[in-house]
Amino acid sequence: MDGELLSETFVELTDTLVADFDMIDFLHVLTDRSVKLLDVSAAGLLLADPRGELRVVAASSEAARLLELFQLQNDQGPCLDSFRTGQPVSAADLDAEAQRWPRFAAAARLSGFAAVQALPMRLRDQVIGALNLFRASPGAFAPGDVRVGQALADVATISLLHERSLRHSDTLNEQLQAALNSRVVIEQAKGKLAERLGLNMEQAFVLLRDYARNHNLRLADLAQAFIDGTQTVVGQAVAAEPRTTARTGQPHNPARPAPPQAPPGNGAPAGEQAT
Amino acid sequence: MMRDRASRVWGLVAIRASLRGGSVSAADVCTAAVASVEVTGAWLIAAANADAGHLMSVTDEVSEHLAELELTLGEGPSLDAFASGGPALASDLRTREAASRWPAFAVAATEAGAGAIFAFPLRIGAIRAGVLGVYRARPGPLTAFQLGDALVFADTATLLLLEAQDETAGGRDPAAGPGGQPADLALHRAEIDQATGMLTEQLGTGIAEALLRLRAYAYAHDRRLADVAGDIVGRRLRLSAEADLTGDGGG
Repeated sequence: MDGELLSETFVELTDTLVADFDMIDFLHVLTDRSVKLLDVSAAGLLLADPRGELRVVAASSEAARLLELFQLQNDQGPCLDSFRTGQPVSAADLDAEAQRWPRFAAAARLSGFAAVQALPMRLRDQVIGALNLFRASPGAFAPGDVRVGQALADVATISLLHERSLRHSDTLNEQLQAALNSRVVIEQAKGKLAERLGLNMEQAFVLLRDYARNHNLRLADLAQAFIDGTQTVVGQAVAAEPRTTARTGQPHNPARPAPPQAPPGNGAPAGEQAT
Repeated sequence: MMRDRASRVWGLVAIRASLRGGSVSAADVCTAAVASVEVTGAWLIAAANADAGHLMSVTDEVSEHLAELELTLGEGPSLDAFASGGPALASDLRTREAASRWPAFAVAATEAGAGAIFAFPLRIGAIRAGVLGVYRARPGPLTAFQLGDALVFADTATLLLLEAQDETAGGRDPAAGPGGQPADLALHRAEIDQATGMLTEQLGTGIAEALLRLRAYAYAHDRRLADVAGDIVGRRLRLSAEADLTGDGGG
């Protein structure tokens, strides 16, 4: 295990009090680093929506089948069990779990996963979701990996629930709902970009993510601007807005007027901004 | 679990409409939300873009005053919710927290008789339809259950306002889903969002209209929304701008 990366990850997972905290980016750190630090092939994070279901908020890979697998866990699967019990749930060999989770085990095997470990996102009595770790080969997860995975999940949970103020549960719910909506914006943008350039969803996501990183934009802001037609993703950057610093208290207005004309190659149909 | 809740909320809204003897409207969402979320009043603002928005419905004078205060002062929970895509939850307007967030509004709203305000954006990803606001005369947070209900009332209002823009919907029940399913508004599936994004390109429309066209297609073919979305994402189905909504067009 990369000790330096581990330390860095812990620092990043406690860094939620910054002015421009972005929950989607934060949760992607948790899933991406889980894959880099632990002997796992994929990681995904589900958080509880107060509407009454678990929602996918981050995944180390955007492969459609993986997302589907996470979503299936509203009905059954280790993540749901871990969320309900607040305890880790492991399955070293999914072939042996056909009775426990018939649909999930079959879907996971189809997606190329043989073992799964779910870790609760929990602080005392409060369970806010669960982290899923997948491995392609069967066998028990190394105890050290499980401990570190749980520690990462714990630190992230504590950071999210951090008592910033008396209204901390209001703050968490505000951020969670904004993050869930951002997830939807990102999926919509992936679809639009995939269709425009003839890409699959994974390629579209990588393009969006890299573009956001290279231009110092929030992924969700870029996705929104791309759909609104005020931002292209390929070719010249147009109307790129610098990463906002006015995050706390005063959310910036993403609905600012579009630039007067569409750039060459943008292809945004006329009148799109009218909606 | 989620679908049950969406069906229940839709039922509460539909009952209000039938008591009034009309078809379901924004007013019904507000009155049903007041009873179910256990708040004092509610208001609904329709706004598709950065414009000030249009106050569609209020349940009482205080609600109307609160909505107008925000527009006058240019700050407040509804405006924040619209801009951020997440709700603005203020369990106690008398706190320093609320005062620093909305210096003018927090004081004015307290004087107007509000102890707590909760505003919910009407959003499906990049699609904006407006804001649902509720207030309580006395301060205090929403329970997790009330918060969940309020979010589903907002989802219901979102589809109601969106479908009101769609001439082809023809008084369709916005919550009775295609394919004989109950309330598909409850289904949070990445494929539906991806397919909506793809349709903006295929149809050359904005994102809101793309979703309406996706829903209309599913209705017309009596198929589940998620299945149609899966076919679009799997590139087994394309919709074209000319495709008729009743026949085989677009397939």
